[in-house]
Amino acid sequence: MISLFEAGQKYALNFQVTEEVYHSFLTAFKDFNPLHTNNEFAKEKGFENKVMHGNILNGFVSYFVGECLATKNIIIHSQQIQFNNPVYLNDKLTFDAKVFEIYSSVNAIEFKFVFKNALQKTVAKGKVQIGFLP
Amino acid sequence: MTTREEGLTQIIEVFKDVLDDQSITLSESTTASDVEDWDSLNHIQLVVAVEKKFKVRFTSKEIQSWANVGEMITCILSK
Repeated sequence: MISLFEAGQKYALNFQVTEEVYHSFLTAFKDFNPLHTNNEFAKEKGFENKVMHGNILNGFVSYFVGECLATKNIIIHSQQIQFNNPVYLNDKLTFDAKVFEIYSSVNAIEFKFVFKNALQKTVAKGKVQIGFLP
Repeated sequence: MTTREEGLTQIIEVFKDVLDDQSITLSESTTASDVEDWDSLNHIQLVVAVEKKFKVRFTSKEIQSWANVGEMITCILSK
């Protein structure tokens, strides 16, 4: 499986935090903090509008790993993410990832990824380490 | 790393961090069965963290040959 990947290999995807994505997240996880649900509250705190949950982006990372790689025999070992700028409802995001490290001794691969908004501002970046199922 | 002692000290730091247990103590004769959380999933994280820490790469054959922490140190020193 690990031979399907090469150091530096790149991936590019597009995502959008649609109403459906946003409301599905709210329904599933019940995080109704006003920063995420109340435009006035968010504006008072210095944001343009209510801020989308950062962990929605982790869902997009999950989609990348689970659906977009060369094999489905994959498991996520670990994930790190840093939120650099707010994401708002209906923002269109680009997602760029690359194979950062290959640990052939333990059949693991580390990807680095970055999400950017339409203004090309980095909204989040991180790493995800995957392994392979038998 | 220049000595086995230094290697052991640094490996202990890696284990404390990965296993999130500041009470961990290791010796060269320590094996996976001596450390409560050193299971197969954590083993992957430990090897990855050791490779990062010492800037080395192991082969799967090498890691399968280790019987204890001391053999891990020997392998690192051979790189």
